[in-house]
Amino acid sequence: MLSIQNLHARVGDKPILKGINLEIKTGEIHAIMGPNGSGKSTLSSVLAGRDDYEVTDGEVIYQGQNLLELEPEERAWAGVFLSFQYPVEIPGVKNIYLLKAAVNAVREHRGQPELKAGEFLKLVREKLKVMQMDEAFLHRNVNEGFSGGEKKRNEILQMQLLEPTLALLDETDSGLDVDALRIVGEGINRMRSPDRSVLLVTHYQRLLDVVKPDFVHVLAQGEIKLSGDHTLAQRLEREGYEGIEAA
Amino acid sequence: MSGFTAWLADAEDTHAMKAIAVGLPTKRVESWKYVPTRSLARTTWKQADPQGVEQFALTAGSFINVPTLDGLSVTGPDLLPGEQRRLNKMSEAHGFALTQAALEHSRLILTVGKTASVALNLHHIANQASSAGFAALVIRVSPGAQLTLIEQFDRTTVEQANLSSLRCLITLGRDARVTHVRFQAANSHAHVFTNLDVECGEHASYRLQTIEFGSKLARSDIYVALAGKEAQASVNGLAITNGSQYHDTHLAIDHVVGDTKSEMTFRNMVDGKGEATFNGRVLIRKDSQRSGTEQSIANLLMSDSARVNPKPELEIYADDVTASHGCTVGSLNQTELFYLKSRGLSEADARAFLQYAFAEKIVEEIEDPEIRDLVETQLLGELTHGELIAELKESVDV
Repeated sequence: MLSIQNLHARVGDKPILKGINLEIKTGEIHAIMGPNGSGKSTLSSVLAGRDDYEVTDGEVIYQGQNLLELEPEERAWAGVFLSFQYPVEIPGVKNIYLLKAAVNAVREHRGQPELKAGEFLKLVREKLKVMQMDEAFLHRNVNEGFSGGEKKRNEILQMQLLEPTLALLDETDSGLDVDALRIVGEGINRMRSPDRSVLLVTHYQRLLDVVKPDFVHVLAQGEIKLSGDHTLAQRLEREGYEGIEAA
Repeated sequence: MSGFTAWLADAEDTHAMKAIAVGLPTKRVESWKYVPTRSLARTTWKQADPQGVEQFALTAGSFINVPTLDGLSVTGPDLLPGEQRRLNKMSEAHGFALTQAALEHSRLILTVGKTASVALNLHHIANQASSAGFAALVIRVSPGAQLTLIEQFDRTTVEQANLSSLRCLITLGRDARVTHVRFQAANSHAHVFTNLDVECGEHASYRLQTIEFGSKLARSDIYVALAGKEAQASVNGLAITNGSQYHDTHLAIDHVVGDTKSEMTFRNMVDGKGEATFNGRVLIRKDSQRSGTEQSIANLLMSDSARVNPKPELEIYADDVTASHGCTVGSLNQTELFYLKSRGLSEADARAFLQYAFAEKIVEEIEDPEIRDLVETQLLGELTHGELIAELKESVDV
């Protein structure tokens, strides 16, 4: 599904990613953990096509295509979805406008017929229920005045509607209380499928208690220092990152 | 020399002679330094007769079909001394104001009776080539009365230069309330001049929403005086300037006495080779203690050749006041664009969304649903790729 080879990226003159190698097969959930400033968010942003970062070396092959050559919207059409660490507020645009425009843009590029208003509302109501969100969210401006937890739920709601093939979840657990963490975690679990891969970027183990990853990687100083199964996350929680970085 | 000289010469009075002597303002006049005066100078302007208009309208310098409404009376013809003084002051504002005064064709004086509630919808219709219409409207809103005044500048099909000028005085008595909406969507040959002077008495409240999409050239000089204790004024505006349009708003709010409040919000969105000027001045005088003002000006530049000239001016001479202000100039936010594109919106659709969002923050404040819908529909027509949002609104709004 996704093959990252020797990926180097920088912001301005500062190198952030210094040779990432990662293979994600269809249906797998990978967690990337690491200390602050290790390059975790940079990795997911580069994969989604944010142009604040310059890729200086390496390649990323996604379903046989060179992912780095695609515009962000082309990546979305190809099934890539990024859940933002800091979801963006768009005052003046109702959430439902964005949701419907996004769903139909993606459907159009997948050769699926456009959803009519009634079909779309039925679908979105179903997903709102899963995320335990009130219908009023649809008619509020995109993320404007949402609490941290509401913003993250809105991201997962979008993911449920867009049904990506590759979901990149950037610190989706940050800023969530226990209940919201469970709702968001279950929202992600519902998306588990043999046809879908997930890359979870997180700082803490707590989301991984709800969403059990197949593989855990430790990213430090722009490189993957260690990989293992889900027990690695527990080891990190006990021992911290320092031991890993020293190794 | 201006395109009004012959007309002014025919008028043969002292105001007209003075207007000829002064001519059109030059770039050296600070408040007119950005105004492109070429089309004003080159057109030979003339008076026309009102034609083919059925609503209450100002056309060719005449008010026609003045409605008969409960609580509304046509008064005059004499101005009160204070009104005369304010009109005189208006004609000193800049060189063109002299021409506006000298060529004034008609004057309508309306009174909204005590505690009455009146809604007026005035259409500005310029439907004749090379014609210019100059008029004055004086509205006295009695104590405790309420007025909703909606001014619509209709998009006519006349394909040559046209000009409409309105000098407007509104006086709010104690506890009076006025909601005033101006929606200017005149056609691309139109020249629209507005001089508005509002005076708020004690505990009166004035709210103006001004939306400007149309015309080749539009200039508004707006002055709001908070002349009675606990009076308040809120002015918000949006100008969308495209092609080779020029929009210019000079807005001043004067806290003449203390315990008064004002809010000023203005947004310019400029595309193509358009140019927009906004001068927003708030004056809190020395003895106007316990007054408050909030000012916010945002400017969005959509193309490399678009120009915007924003100038916020806060003059505060009292010491016990609250004041906030902010002014931004920029292009579309890259993070917001990326967010929308990462959800599958094309670059063009994402840009349309953000332009709509910028404008909608002002449009959504319009209370009257009918006029708000009208403005929104025309707004979407102005935006490249606005049809996506139009479709969304149609399909999911309840």
